[in-house]
Amino acid sequence: MQTTKLRHIYFSLFLAFICLLLPWSGLALTMRPDFLLLVLIFWLIRAPNLCNVGTAWFAGLLVDLAVGGIFGQYALVYTVTAFFAVMYQRRLVLFSGTQQLAYVILLLLISQISLLILKVFAGMQWIGWTYFLPSVTGVLLWRIAVFFGINAGGRARGD
Amino acid sequence: MVRGFNQKFEQQQAPAFFVRGPSVFARLVFFAALSLALIATDSRLQYLKSVRQALMSVLHPLQVVANTPTRLYGATNEYFVTHNHLLNENQQLKQQALKQDIALQRLSMLVLENEHLRKLLEANQSLLESSVLGEIMHVGRDPFTKKVVVNRGEAHHVVAGEAVVDAKGVIGQVTRTYSLSSEVTLITDKSLAIPVQIERNGLRAIAFGHGRDNILDLPYLPTNVDIRRGDKLVTSGIDGVYPAGLAVATVSQIENTADSPFSRIICVPTGGVENHKQVLLVSIPQLGLPAVTAVTAVTASKVSAAVASQVKKTSKTAGTLAMPKKSQAGTAIRPHANN
Repeated sequence: MQTTKLRHIYFSLFLAFICLLLPWSGLALTMRPDFLLLVLIFWLIRAPNLCNVGTAWFAGLLVDLAVGGIFGQYALVYTVTAFFAVMYQRRLVLFSGTQQLAYVILLLLISQISLLILKVFAGMQWIGWTYFLPSVTGVLLWRIAVFFGINAGGRARGD
Repeated sequence: MVRGFNQKFEQQQAPAFFVRGPSVFARLVFFAALSLALIATDSRLQYLKSVRQALMSVLHPLQVVANTPTRLYGATNEYFVTHNHLLNENQQLKQQALKQDIALQRLSMLVLENEHLRKLLEANQSLLESSVLGEIMHVGRDPFTKKVVVNRGEAHHVVAGEAVVDAKGVIGQVTRTYSLSSEVTLITDKSLAIPVQIERNGLRAIAFGHGRDNILDLPYLPTNVDIRRGDKLVTSGIDGVYPAGLAVATVSQIENTADSPFSRIICVPTGGVENHKQVLLVSIPQLGLPAVTAVTAVTASKVSAAVASQVKKTSKTAGTLAMPKKSQAGTAIRPHANN
């Protein structure tokens, strides 16, 4: 039973990674939600015993490779985000749908802000407020997923 | 089905309640330390280059798979192009080819003359470079940098440092090579500097990418410098990396402020930095004699004066200048304006 479960997790993470690899450009690139992180947060909330900080770290490493920046940046960002997700996972399951959405956007913002801090330390320049658009589109995507019955767990399931 | 899935999951979740392994905080500390170590190793030491290359060749097939939908879409689009459109395009291309043929005839004469003059001046700078035609696979995913990935790599003898040009001018430089692809930093990236020369008077300067908008900066030029709006910047070639005489940018704005000894000069890239799909990777000029640096500042200024007039004449063909595969450069690179 457990193996099936793990397979689901890895398959969805793989699909999210392919989504990341799609040749995005222009406006779509600025608005592109962080698919991999969204799927990660989903599994972190739903099955923290199978998908934990370590999984997030490995996923981050893959993103580092795909993005082509300095190794370890996304790994660190995903690790920190995963920490906050798992830390409050027990409470999160009790949240209602809207509360959960707020929490997800908070997590996405944490990831983006920590990435921003890392990049600024590496000598990069602030690229404007559009930088935070992926968090917004990400949470919209989460809402759509909830609408189609994919739930991270808890009350939001609407039972 | 999802609901059933949930229920199954809950049953299984219960016993796992207390089995959680090391604490979350311990995991955070461990993996954060690991990432920081990686960041330090990658940014300060060069150990991870081969690791990255190996992993990239694993990633390449995935990238090809991810590119398939767009490629298929493009192919279908191309298939349904109207007859009229093709006829028009054919007509345009024929006219273009004719114009370029004439320019090329003049070019071969100019190349001879140039060689002769260079011999007279004892300046040695080869104008013959080989080049590889590549196609942009995707735009860089890092929002902080301006990069593209091209489908030519070490397997096609691409080396880091090569200039990347399109039909109109320089668009960037190869900064990292993998086995089947390479990463090109665009000239508008903040970290890329390119040695240029003003075509009109041969004044040398260094252009820096601005990073945010699609423009270049020309810093550290005094306010009294002879530069005007509309001046064309071409590569100077004295860095020994870019071939000389490729169009880079046009000066679009000059601002002089009282509190700064330097003027603020903004240039717009000539090449379609963000809209073309086919690019040419021009190899680093191989010099016959020791190095271009042997041409000292004094000689260089002499040369620039002599060359300036030639550059002016050849400026119309600047994009295709100095490519041995003339016909290929002339016809194969065309703007991908339709898509």
